[in-house]
Amino acid sequence: MIYAVEATKLTKYFGSFKAVDSIDLKVRKGEIFGLLGPNGAGKTTTIRMILGLLKPSAGTVKVFGVDVAKNRKEVLKITGYMPQRFSLYEDLTTEENLRLFASLYGLKGRDLDERVGELLDEFQLREYRYRLAGKLSGGTKQRLALAVALVHKPRLLIVDEPTAGVDPPIRRYFWEYFRKLRQEGVTILVTTHYMDEAENCDRLALMNRGKIVAHGTPQGIKRLAYGGDIVELYTERRALLYLKSFDGVKTILNKDVKDGVLRVKVLVDDASDRLVPIVKNLEEKGVKVLRANQVFVSLEDAFIKLTVGD
Amino acid sequence: MSAFLALVVKDVRQLLRDPKTMLMVLLMPIIVMALFVAGYGGGGGEVPIAVVDLDGGKISWQLIDFLRNVGDFRVDYFASTPEKGEMLVKKGKVYATLIIPEGFSEDVLLGRKTRVELIIDSSYAHISELIWEALNAAVQEFQRKVSEKYNTFSITVNKRTVYGPQVTRVENFVPVVMGILLHLVPMSLIAVSISRERERRTFEQLIVTPINSSDIIMSKLLAYALITISDMVVTLWVSVELFNVRVKGSFLDLLIVSSIMLLCSLSLGLLISVVSKNQLQAYQTAIFLFIPSMLFTGFLTPVELLSGEVRLISKLLPLYYFLRTFRNIQLRGWTLYETIYEVEVLAFQTIFFLLLSIKLLKLRVE
Ligand SMILES: Nc1ncnc2c1ncn2[C@@H]1O[C@H](COP(=O)(O)OP(=O)(O)O)[C@@H](O)[C@H]1O
Ligand SMILES: [Mg+2]
Repeated sequence: MIYAVEATKLTKYFGSFKAVDSIDLKVRKGEIFGLLGPNGAGKTTTIRMILGLLKPSAGTVKVFGVDVAKNRKEVLKITGYMPQRFSLYEDLTTEENLRLFASLYGLKGRDLDERVGELLDEFQLREYRYRLAGKLSGGTKQRLALAVALVHKPRLLIVDEPTAGVDPPIRRYFWEYFRKLRQEGVTILVTTHYMDEAENCDRLALMNRGKIVAHGTPQGIKRLAYGGDIVELYTERRALLYLKSFDGVKTILNKDVKDGVLRVKVLVDDASDRLVPIVKNLEEKGVKVLRANQVFVSLEDAFIKLTVGD
Repeated sequence: MSAFLALVVKDVRQLLRDPKTMLMVLLMPIIVMALFVAGYGGGGGEVPIAVVDLDGGKISWQLIDFLRNVGDFRVDYFASTPEKGEMLVKKGKVYATLIIPEGFSEDVLLGRKTRVELIIDSSYAHISELIWEALNAAVQEFQRKVSEKYNTFSITVNKRTVYGPQVTRVENFVPVVMGILLHLVPMSLIAVSISRERERRTFEQLIVTPINSSDIIMSKLLAYALITISDMVVTLWVSVELFNVRVKGSFLDLLIVSSIMLLCSLSLGLLISVVSKNQLQAYQTAIFLFIPSMLFTGFLTPVELLSGEVRLISKLLPLYYFLRTFRNIQLRGWTLYETIYEVEVLAFQTIFFLLLSIKLLKLRVE
């Protein structure tokens, strides 16, 4: 299988400091892949190595099967990049920036005019087309940066913390836009240190201190952190006699009794498979179940659990 | 528009919108003119000389007349003794004193070998050399003409050099001004160009596009050349039209070598830009490189007066070759072809700096 991004044993030293430590990454075609981790985890460094902006100390990167070290230009032609901090020419206007980068990606004549026009409309930049990029507001700058990253209709979009320090409406706008791009077949690799945002990703890699501590779907990562899903039941005390013997139940996490009602948290391998059978089995045994639901675990909690003792 | 042209347009735009750059570019010709006004010693295009006529005969008068009419010299003083004639040179009143010995006319009329003596101010090696050449040529010409009338005879010119005060003259001044204008200014302007892109982070966005390092280097070269070349043309024009600086050779040749020098300075500046860590370091390197250029290339002191080791350094510096060509064309009236060696060295250095810059510019953010 050819991955959109495939990094193998990727490592980066700055002097003797290991910023990225032998990580493996596989981004599938057409998914939104999140690289999640706190500041200083090594996300930007990883992304820069994927784009050939930094030379890896060890390891390889392939983008759609093309080795970045050997054929960087081919990779750049199909990849769009929006850096963590605004990096366009502040002394050029919105339109001049768009036209410049369109030319650099090889667009010419009518194609260039059309594409620039499309992007001005798409990102609501038309009213700012003659304004210097340095004079734009934060949100408009971000939209322009995204427009530039997409000017050549890349197959892979790499976005480094697009939502850091921007207002919630713009954060929402970005994630909606990423989903739209995914529908058009674009693969997106996005980094963030906002754990709540990462729920929007199809798959994630959790990064801490240069290492990938977990990867998978958001749900998969939470399962990994706790060893399964957590289900909460409000039922009779008698339930404790049976619970452990049911299929898929791993352990009972905690329990307390209040006003004769037992509240118990159970770890199961897969909540969506097991919740209904558990309730059914209990009721077959004559145990009344007042309420049963999956406990929402935040990625943040999962992350903390996974990195404890690191 | 191709990626290359788009980059040129972008750099020109940025330069035009940068107040500091534009101030420098617009102010330069004005500063140059001010320097001219301050430094202009008057006296037009003729070299002032003194004559000590110990002979006082008919032929010596003919020689003096002849020299006056050649057009290169202007006899400002007649001194009564060789000592007084020498003092005039030492005081900087004249560039040279011609001493015609007693019995000169008689020697010529009798067809004997004779001699004249020339005392030259060697404070400016290139000028004294020119005077020496011009006077020799004039005397030989005189000899040829006079021999037709009288018997054949021969005149040798003996040279003696003394040091006079360094008199500022506009002819000396033009190459110095051009050196600053064509070397220091463009070199330091372009030296910060790449570090600036790095510091403003635009470099990161630029190099994720599929361009080559040669696109970046060559587009910057062209953009900065377009912005700075007008200063060069204006300054040359001002020198010739407003300050009557004599250009013995062709003005077009001067423009050509000046353009090559401009490209060479920009290329060296680009090399500095590529290897510098930040803008400050780039500026410092450019200015640091200009110091030996100023000291060792005949900019202030004639190269001939420098020690052997220092002269080796001179020969590495582009300004050395430029000043030689420039003076060859301006003062000696040589054609481009006659001074082609220096032009070739300059062109070679330009290409070398460019290739090295392209090679060293890594499309990375490390
Ligand atoms: N050019 C560099 N030189 C030295 N250290 C660096 C450099 N770039 C990043 N680092 C260090 O590497 C670590 C990872 O940085 P980075 O990849 O920017 O993290 P993130 O993007 O996850 O916040 C940090 O500790 C940072 O200080
Ligand atoms: Mg980062």
